[in-house]
Amino acid sequence: MSITRSLILARRVILQMLADRRTLALIVVVPMILLSFLGVLIRADPAERVVGVVNQDNGVSLGGTTVNLGERLIAVLQGFEEFSTRPMNPAEARRELDAGDADAVITLGPDFTQQVLQTRTLTLAVEFEGSNPMIAEQLRKMLERVALQAANVSLALLAAPASGEAGELRAVLDASYLHSGPEYDTLDYMAPALVSFFVFLFVFLLTCLAFLRERLAGTLERLQATPIRSYEIIIGYMLGFLVFGIVQGAVTLLFTIYVLDIHYAGNLLNIVAVELLLVVLSVNLGIFLSTFAQNEFQVLQFIPLVVVSQGLLGGVVWQVEDMPAALQPFSRLMPLTYATRALRDVMIKGEGLSNVAGSLLVLLAFAVLVIALSSRVTARAQGS
Amino acid sequence: MNESPYAVEVVDVHKCFGPIQALRGVTLRVRRGEIYGLLGPNGAGKSTLIRLLAGLYRPDAGSVTVLGRPMPNKEVLAQLGYMTQATALYSELTVWQNVSFFAGLMGCRDERSIAAAIEFVSLTERAHSRVNTLSGGMRQRVSLAIAVAHRPALILLDEPTVGVDPQLRAQFWEHFRTITGQGVTLIVSSHVMDEAERCDRLGFLRNGQLIAEGTAESLRQAAGTTNLEEAFLRLAERQEEVHAL
Repeated sequence: MSITRSLILARRVILQMLADRRTLALIVVVPMILLSFLGVLIRADPAERVVGVVNQDNGVSLGGTTVNLGERLIAVLQGFEEFSTRPMNPAEARRELDAGDADAVITLGPDFTQQVLQTRTLTLAVEFEGSNPMIAEQLRKMLERVALQAANVSLALLAAPASGEAGELRAVLDASYLHSGPEYDTLDYMAPALVSFFVFLFVFLLTCLAFLRERLAGTLERLQATPIRSYEIIIGYMLGFLVFGIVQGAVTLLFTIYVLDIHYAGNLLNIVAVELLLVVLSVNLGIFLSTFAQNEFQVLQFIPLVVVSQGLLGGVVWQVEDMPAALQPFSRLMPLTYATRALRDVMIKGEGLSNVAGSLLVLLAFAVLVIALSSRVTARAQGS
Repeated sequence: MNESPYAVEVVDVHKCFGPIQALRGVTLRVRRGEIYGLLGPNGAGKSTLIRLLAGLYRPDAGSVTVLGRPMPNKEVLAQLGYMTQATALYSELTVWQNVSFFAGLMGCRDERSIAAAIEFVSLTERAHSRVNTLSGGMRQRVSLAIAVAHRPALILLDEPTVGVDPQLRAQFWEHFRTITGQGVTLIVSSHVMDEAERCDRLGFLRNGQLIAEGTAESLRQAAGTTNLEEAFLRLAERQEEVHAL
């Protein structure tokens, strides 16, 4: 063994790295960028949850005073700082819930106090928005505590004037869900995002590598010496990778649905349609970015930059709405944000394509942009 | 189509890549059915000239006309056979798949033509081998098969016989003669002088300029030597003297 020989080799490795300025910058800069994203995300206070209350309680007259348990309940709710309580009228509540602005709505009927007295049970009728099962679950636990506290307050209130009989007051949460349901868990929420993330990751990397090889091996030059036009090359690549993107998407989807047993509400065809758009985008992003790589190693560098950043900011784990305001603009620049949102709306809310048209249009705009960029890239040899 | 007697007309073409002047006013004409050899050292501009003919570059100045059409022109490309470096193949595909892919893009979907092209480069037995199992010389031959499979009217060969053994090289030239007899035009870049001898006409390229043109015999006479290599060197010297004046 000769340490000299190893040192000579080590010196060569260092020289090679020093010659590749971009890799050097990447090694130092990218971890800092990603860590600061992650730091901000983890420390961030989630957006405030909104609980609407529709109080129609008329109260009950007990020994000359009117007891209105609905108002008491609102007071209890307002004691919780984890969410903000907003009194609403029924129409307003419906609207806020449908728009996803309210996370849950509690409805107290005109005979709420009456019912509590008669049944000795405080029944809290809550409708959860439900598109994020994690939030719904969190709120449900808090509202159970609310119901319990409210029951205690009510008992004290009702016991005194009434014939002294203390007894008990049960608290029940009557939960209903606009989207999803109590059986939905975190995995159900994550699955649509993970499906889109994997499709994006693999299709992007494969196209990027395939196109890089086409360029490095010189077959791209040979292609350009045939009558094929640059847009025909792009379409060909898209069609070819579409096959694998769809197969991969379908397998991932079926696996999550049938093996991991996730719940989904949407139409399977709508899910496939969103995926198609994502594959088109990924293929073209791959072609476009491949021109910025001189070798396979540099393609690997796109993983932290393009893939991890989208994983962090694209709403896969952290909801975009929950991110600090400073990060949200970054999220809006990431195509994966829109794919995740569309796929989630389709899978959890069971929305039709027309209802996710906004997200799809943005995704389409991204796709058109990268198609334009990537066809410039393939056409460049002819132009110069 | 314009029935000019020339398959290729290059008139006063300039091409720069950044600060590097690859071609500085090259003019040459190649008749239909001719075998034209481009000779010159590395960096003389041979590949640039061939790429201009293949429509890969646009000239900075001057005009390039191929088969009667100004280049770059996508339609003409179907009648062109372009042979580049041996690495420009899909290595995970078989010989047959490579040849039929490019032939297909050229509008030739006839299996017999593909079989004939593979036969021509003596790879019939390896037709269904993956390219990554072939030797360098064999890959070179696949590259040549791709250039001729669709029966083009003009064939551009960039260093076609590097790594090909002499026997096969002789066979290639026999085939080149047969097809040029049918009106096909061949432009070959090379620095193998033995190959140059077989061309109808030669052009000496140096520093992006065509310094001499003619048959091998006439070039030797002009330089006053019996050897092409020496002829090239002498003509290059003479040009420098002219420039010095």
